[in-house]
Formats: sequence, C-alpha cells, structure tokens
Amino acid sequence: MFLVISYDIPEDKRRTKIHKILKSYGQWMQFSVFECELTDAQYAKLRSRLSKLIKPSEDSIRFYFLCGCCQPKIERIGGEQVRDDTIFFA
Amino acid sequence: MGTVYVSQDDSFIGKTDERLTVKAEKKQILDVPLIKIDGLVILGRATISPAAVMELLERKIPMSFMTGSGRFLGRLEPELTKNIFVRRSQWDAAGETPKAIHMVQAFVRGKLKNYRASLMRHLRDYPDNDLQKAIDDIERAIDSLATIKAIASLRGVEGHGSAVYWQAFPKLIRADGFSFTTRNRRPPIDPVNAMLSFGYSLLRHDVQGALNIVGFDPYLGYLHTERYGRPSLALDLMEEFRPLIVDAIVLSAINRKAIAPKDFTAEPLSKAITLSNDARKVFLTLYEQKKQSKFKHPVMGRQCTYQESFELQARLLAKYLMDETDKYPPLVLK
Repeated sequence: MFLVISYDIPEDKRRTKIHKILKSYGQWMQFSVFECELTDAQYAKLRSRLSKLIKPSEDSIRFYFLCGCCQPKIERIGGEQVRDDTIFFA
Repeated sequence: MGTVYVSQDDSFIGKTDERLTVKAEKKQILDVPLIKIDGLVILGRATISPAAVMELLERKIPMSFMTGSGRFLGRLEPELTKNIFVRRSQWDAAGETPKAIHMVQAFVRGKLKNYRASLMRHLRDYPDNDLQKAIDDIERAIDSLATIKAIASLRGVEGHGSAVYWQAFPKLIRADGFSFTTRNRRPPIDPVNAMLSFGYSLLRHDVQGALNIVGFDPYLGYLHTERYGRPSLALDLMEEFRPLIVDAIVLSAINRKAIAPKDFTAEPLSKAITLSNDARKVFLTLYEQKKQSKFKHPVMGRQCTYQESFELQARLLAKYLMDETDKYPPLVLK
C-alpha cells in the first residue's frame, strides 16, 4: 500500500529520531512529509516504532493511505525526484 | 525491489537503522532502505561491516562478490533459498530432454534473430549493400528451428546461420584499414577478431556472474556440451547477447573510428593480435557504456539496462526450468 506520512513534532531531538526511522521505510519528499510503499507487516512495524517514540500530548503523525487509482494521480512540480527502486548504484 | 551494485573501489558498506549505506572517500554515496533491496553485488574492493552482513543474511538478501572487471568470485547466501531447486531442475533437464530441446531452440533462435536484425538494420542504413541473400538464408534457418527436435541438428542450424552471418560481416565494416575474412580465435590473427574475442570474454564473465547470482551451475549447459573447465551454460545464455552487445560495439568502434588499425600489435611468431593499452581502455569504456544503456525489455515490458538483462534472462531461464512458465523467451531486439 502507498502512504503519505506527515508529522508535526515541536521538539528537535524527537523529530530527528522520527525522521531517521521514516527514512528506512520510504522517501523524504518535503519537510515533514514522507511517501512510503509498504506491506501490511512493514506498516505495522513502522507504526509501532513511531508510537513508542512520540508524546501524544504534543506530537502528531498522520498516515494518509492512497488507493491504487489515486496513486498515479499525484502531480509534482519541482522538488525531490521519486527514487527508482529497481536498481541502485554506488 | 532492486539490486544494489557497489562498484566504487575502497567503499564501505554499513548499516544505519534499517538502511544500507555506502561510504567512499568520506562521503556517503548511497542510502537505501533494506526493505527495497533484494540483492547486493559488490564489484571490486569494498568493505562490508559485520552488522550489515548479519542484517542482510537475516533478511535473506544474497551478496555476490566480483572483481572490478566483473569476474565472479563468490557469493554469501542466506539460509533457505530456492538455489537447490534451480540446480536440481537444471540437472533434470540435462541431455536430450524436451526442456533441453526447447532451450536450445530458444538460444539459437535468439542468436539468429539478433543476427538477422543487425544485418537488416545495416541494410536500412546502406540500401546499396548486398545483404538480402544472407538475411533470407538466416530467415530460413530460423523457420526450420521449430520443427527440429534433435539437439545435434539444432547445433547444425546454429553453425549454418553463424557461417552465413560471418560471411556477410565484412560488408558491415565501413572504415579503411580493417580486413575481416573469417572468424578466427585462439589466437585471433586480425584486429577485428581480436576485438570480438576480447568482447566475448567480457560478456562471458557478465553472463556467468548473472547465472551464479540466480543460483545456476554455469558448467552444465545444453547447447554447449560438458567439457572440462568450460562454463557451458554461460556460453549458451550469451548466444543471444553476442550480436546485441559485442558485435554492435566492435562495429561502432571501427565505423566511428574510435579504434584505428594502428592500435594493434602483432606477435611475430603466433601472429596473435593484441590491443594497445589505450585502445583497450576505449574498448572497455564502450563496453561499459553499452552495458549501462537502457532499452525496453520486450517480455518484462519495462526499461532495463543490458547489465540487468543478463540477470533477467537468467531468472526467466530458472522460471522455465522450475515449471513456473511454459516457455523460455530469448532476448530479441529489433
């Protein structure tokens, strides 16, 4: 499934931690916005890792699920290019 | 899901959180989530951290190690792979079995169709060239393939088709100073043959690497018979790639005058021809560029490079041998 994840975290240290976790699951598209293509198990793991970390009284993380027909309708002007996940060179 | 190729020398492969990172010269050159990776290929010298090795094995991601020039060295493989089934189905199909016959037909068909396409492309560009007879001959050989059910006869068709192609080959050379009469090797005695042989050996390393990555035994082939120390399956699978990659770059190197006759030296006794160091670099660069060039794979329907297509074809072969598909489609490009 395809997710857009956005977060609002006032404290720098916690925000950095959240950012680092999200980088392992998807691509950083904008400040506080990630896009991830995940399986159910991967999503469950990500969600539990994040929920252990945040302070629900101050922080918020939102998961937007895009259905298969909405996903190709994403339009982009400028900004981060979508990563090609079929091959990686270093 | 993709494969990671690390070709930067002296790079360091490590793990950060659930990501694979590659550092070289104190800079981070790659950072990808492990959930996006299904294979790691290390070309040349690289260090990999113990934590990364453990994590990759845990996640059942195989690692292959190759030299910088692409010769397969070995492979670190997690527990529980399909490898044994690939290998068993490969052995089960050995000899004069229906599967072996199908694969030999496919290898020969792929090669001859690509031969024909390369002659036809040349005829389109230079219509005054007398190639039509060779094209028709190869066409007939391709048509006869489907009805022939004996591997020895299929080898005969392959030999005939190749002979026709190599007879027509000199007409494709459009630069002065290069002469080509027939294919010769061990040792090649003219510059064109020297370049072809060099190219084929590069190609063999790549194809053999791909077969190893998929889990085949490259020494058991179908079109090529078993012989001590001969990687027959690699030779089988590279048939369809010969005209697409090596012949194409040899011709373009000659016709675009990237390599000239003065770049070669002959050894006095055996008449063996070798490339000068500079010309070898030119040739390697051309080969590398070709391998990284993209085309649309006719079966998979997506963009891929020739480098990836070696592995794709090997995986298609494995699928056919393990009864996941009912045909092996050779890579044929127009």
